[in-house]
Amino acid sequence: MKDLRHFIGQLEQNEELVRIKKEVDWDIELGAISRRVYDQYGPCLWFEKIKDYPQGYTVINGECGTWRRVAIAMGLDANTPLREIYEEYEKRIEGRVQPNIVDRKAAPCKENVFIGEQADIYRLPAPLIHEGDGGRYIGTWDAVITKDPETNWTNWGMYRFMIHNQNFLAGWPQTTSQFAMMLNEKYVPKNQPMPVALVIGSHPLDHMVATAPMRPGVNEAEVAGSLRGEPVDLVKCETSEIMVPANAEIIIEGEIPTDAIVPDGPFGEYPGFRSGTMAEGVAFRIKAITHRNNPILSMTALGAPVDDSSIAASLTAAVGMKLGLQRRGIDVTDVYVPPEGVTHLVIVGVRTGGIEVTKKVLDFFIARRVMVSKVIVVDKDVDVFDMKQWIHAFATKCHPGRSIVVEHFVGKSNALTPCYDAEERRILKGAFAAFDATWPLEWPKENIPPRATFKEIYSQETQDKVLAKWHEYGF
Amino acid sequence: MPKEYLTYVRKYADLYEGERDIFIKDLTPGPRKYDTKQVRALVARSAENLPGADTLWVRSEMGVLDPKPWAIKILKELPDYVKGRPYTDVFSVMNK
Ligand SMILES: Cc1cc2nc3c(=O)[nH]c(=O)nc-3n(C[C@H](O)[C@H](O)[C@H](O)COP(=O)(O)O)c2cc1C
Ligand SMILES: [Mn+2]
Repeated sequence: MKDLRHFIGQLEQNEELVRIKKEVDWDIELGAISRRVYDQYGPCLWFEKIKDYPQGYTVINGECGTWRRVAIAMGLDANTPLREIYEEYEKRIEGRVQPNIVDRKAAPCKENVFIGEQADIYRLPAPLIHEGDGGRYIGTWDAVITKDPETNWTNWGMYRFMIHNQNFLAGWPQTTSQFAMMLNEKYVPKNQPMPVALVIGSHPLDHMVATAPMRPGVNEAEVAGSLRGEPVDLVKCETSEIMVPANAEIIIEGEIPTDAIVPDGPFGEYPGFRSGTMAEGVAFRIKAITHRNNPILSMTALGAPVDDSSIAASLTAAVGMKLGLQRRGIDVTDVYVPPEGVTHLVIVGVRTGGIEVTKKVLDFFIARRVMVSKVIVVDKDVDVFDMKQWIHAFATKCHPGRSIVVEHFVGKSNALTPCYDAEERRILKGAFAAFDATWPLEWPKENIPPRATFKEIYSQETQDKVLAKWHEYGF
Repeated sequence: MPKEYLTYVRKYADLYEGERDIFIKDLTPGPRKYDTKQVRALVARSAENLPGADTLWVRSEMGVLDPKPWAIKILKELPDYVKGRPYTDVFSVMNK
């Protein structure tokens, strides 16, 4: 699968996409339809006629909004079980596939090139997604690419960007993002604007990688190649040295000035609320726009789960956390980020439990940026992917008086977490709670309550006997 | 017909009457709706206090609309950005 257009074909074959031929207004209506379809666990939507825009300028919402669509994006069977999707993703992101550099003549994203004054952002049907948003968010299901000027390391990240006007976009990559670290450490001290490329409508797995918390220095184009199972075609930008996916639908090239700002936000955000954060971001000076013929603007009307945002993060954040916990020597079985918990709640399975292990898990989560606010640690016999099992463990095994560990901090919390007040958000003050839902290590084996399931509370002998006679019971 | 604009404030109480610099979004329908500029303007709580003014809708930091609009009279256009380092609070720069 080469690009978004091939993926659309796959979605149609699997009856996962609906084309909307009726004209839809980019101003609120398109977002409202998309939101309602998420609320109903509905299909991916391809809006084919947008008000104020010529035929051929289309918008796609929700391309990875369900596990079936993620499986299709990965080239797997649409019905692949969640655990297998996680396992396959985990295996593939360890691989590296060198990108293929193509000439600009061979790059579909250069079919239309507009530089400087010619680059009119209003050519593109950017939606005003949620009523009350601070602007038209042209960058939601995107990939924002920047380059470290010293090491040439290139970072991909998915960050929101809205149209300010003809000259600027405004965005808010969190101050804890790789984007912000690169900008603040490598460009601001030298007063040099940071070149940037905003990629829209690339291969779905390119966007997936952009949501993944990869370590600095990791070349995400190589990871995307490994995820796709073939090299990513890259082409150089018109106005900078940044390399972008050649088959992407739309590229907006520009730079982040170190001495100018414009207001961004607010925006209906991934925790499922429009939880503020406004006018504290960055300006993106537009220098060029290139796009394919009949460009398809990829987006997500993100909000209350489940949608592309909560699904993507469920996969990419969980696997990132699992690898991180293992690097810290914690013997984890699996990590699950339930989409319903919008990366605020994480379930960690461990081979050996106990409060000390729970504290180690907590230390991992609060070491750097603290985007999560609650983690439940469960024993290895709990299938973390099965909500009934971990809710049962949490409800019964976590001692309200001694199994909850809380840490407070300043300067590294998640500014979008809805329960934080205005002051806490501004200074990134927050807290983290780890819930130990494992049995205490010091309890004698014979005093551990056996779980009353068929498989666990009955002897093998009883189970065999019952199973042998099962058909005789008259079910 | 007065034109309609939209602005954002952290809290409604932050907006005061009189002359001020302000970012406003142009609500004229069409492909350039929400185009943003910075202007120096007179603003008033109601159109009666500012004859011939345009309409200024106000939303909070959470995007919640004040049902009663303000009035605005643009005095002059300013640069479409303010000076400041990335991640600086735009309002704190404008209020200096
Ligand atoms: C739909 C969507 C929108 C996102 N928007 C933002 C954003 O505006 N700012 C931000 O800091 N992170 C945002 N994220 C989370 C980042 O993509 C994620 O933290 C990723 O790891 C960032 O890349 P980085 O690790 O290179 O910084 C978003 C994620 C999704 C799925
Ligand atoms: Mn990254």
